[in-house]
Amino acid sequence: MLLLRKISLVQFKNYTAERFEFNKRITGITGRNGSGKTNLLDAIYYICFTKSYFTSSEAQNTQYQTNGFRLEAYMDKKGQEGKIVCTVKDGKKDISLNDEPYDRFSHHIGKYPAVMIAPDDAEIILGGSEERRKWLDALLCQLHPGYLDNLITYQKILQQRNSLLKTIATQGGNQDALLDVFDEQLVYHGTPVFEVRRDFLPSFIRQVQELYDYLAGQHEVVNIQYQCGLHEQPFNKLLASNRYKDMMMQRTTGGIHRDDLQFLLDDHAMKTSASQGQRKSFLFALKLAQFEVIRQHKKFPPLLLLDDVFEKLDRERVSRLISLVSGPTYGQVFITDTHAERLLDAFKENEDSFQLIKMR
Amino acid sequence: MIFSSALIENAVNEFARLPGIGKKTALRLVLHLLKQDPAQVKLFGDVVTRMRDQIKFCKVCHNVSDQEVCSICSSLSRNKALVCVVENIRDVMAIENTQQFNGVYHVLGGIISPIDGVGPDQLNIHTLVERVQQTGIEEIIMALSPTIEGDTTIYYLSKKLKDFPVKITTIARGIAFGGELEYADEMTLARSISNRLPLESYVQK
Ligand SMILES: [Zn+2]
Repeated sequence: MLLLRKISLVQFKNYTAERFEFNKRITGITGRNGSGKTNLLDAIYYICFTKSYFTSSEAQNTQYQTNGFRLEAYMDKKGQEGKIVCTVKDGKKDISLNDEPYDRFSHHIGKYPAVMIAPDDAEIILGGSEERRKWLDALLCQLHPGYLDNLITYQKILQQRNSLLKTIATQGGNQDALLDVFDEQLVYHGTPVFEVRRDFLPSFIRQVQELYDYLAGQHEVVNIQYQCGLHEQPFNKLLASNRYKDMMMQRTTGGIHRDDLQFLLDDHAMKTSASQGQRKSFLFALKLAQFEVIRQHKKFPPLLLLDDVFEKLDRERVSRLISLVSGPTYGQVFITDTHAERLLDAFKENEDSFQLIKMR
Repeated sequence: MIFSSALIENAVNEFARLPGIGKKTALRLVLHLLKQDPAQVKLFGDVVTRMRDQIKFCKVCHNVSDQEVCSICSSLSRNKALVCVVENIRDVMAIENTQQFNGVYHVLGGIISPIDGVGPDQLNIHTLVERVQQTGIEEIIMALSPTIEGDTTIYYLSKKLKDFPVKITTIARGIAFGGELEYADEMTLARSISNRLPLESYVQK
């Protein structure tokens, strides 16, 4: 079991200095809009992932007119205490576990897993392909060691290759030998990323389907299609056949950086043809399946952070969601809502394991 | 900073242009020189001027040199069949400090990185190929930094040299030294030069 015992926030977003202790499995967080409910969830997300769920700008995480923030959390993982401290000061970020600073933040990610479900998440369905790759990568790098390193290296080689393509276009010259080297490096680091993505989806979609049917209260066929040029031909062939086009376009036109996921409902694109209710059910199914995959991989449940779900789902779906996350396969759950009564009512059958925090 | 002498001010400004030297440190150095004997300061100035004017780059390996060919390349006791490829002159100094390497060098003058405007044509690559072609080099040790750009450069060079009967090896990278060669401690560097790996096992890691 993974439990967050306490967290203190100093100059993080709207918090000047605040401490919270959690002593039950389920924590309801209530207060008016703007009182900092979501910011508390984001602080919890931050100590797990060393970054905010909502923004990549540390300035936006820092209280107005201050030069940095500090988050300190005490976790309990299978009986072992973990003290996590994240500080950002004058633009410099430090993360430590039990007072040992990390050289690379990526080594922290995955040790204290968490899943967030928040209002902006519809972007995964409605936004550009980058949103879906970001979501998939964030999940896969928690499951596969080496995935993130390959991805980062791939991106750096890609930048060099694109830069070379621009140089060739402006200054001329034959750089085929160097392009060959970049191609081989892209193949070397990109192919394992493709294989992990490809092998992950078939079993994942079954879990999404199961959860979708449960939440929606009826069966509709959902599917995720993995779109990638590497299905048709090996990566080295793809790069070779695109070489001329790449030189014209001055960028690398094919490769795993162009991958996309197509979400389908009864064989139609969810982006254009599903109703809002269907999209929401799918989104929750997707996130809960993500939770399930991490739970099976880690052999303990991640933290679940539910932001404003009462506003997003109808009554029936909310009550199915609540009874699911109150169940024995779930661990610590944090859930926000503007109405205290609604939270108390939703968890009245789990009174003993429920704690309510009221924001001032 | 207000000076009562333009001579002092100019000297301070010139010192402050050096890397890692601020105005305060520059002033301290200038005031120190002011206390010295004029002949001593003249010597200091002459040495610096002569260094820049008369320095040469070895036409064989591109290392700094007082002659057309550097003292390493012209030494009779060095093994000319063993060439260590490095990024810059500081790497030559770091490896020389270990006193464990008896071959000669080839200074590339950088590393392939199109983002920074450095392609193969900006580096001393064709002179390396010529050396391999014209002299009896048996082994080339790639001693480049353990970065993606280092990988690219090693890979590129090994392709350029693949048709020649030369053995290409690399020092054990990323194991013990976490940065540039010049920061590697001497023991580690010495060990990684003597325990070098064939390139195949490195590329397919
Ligand atoms: Zn020389």
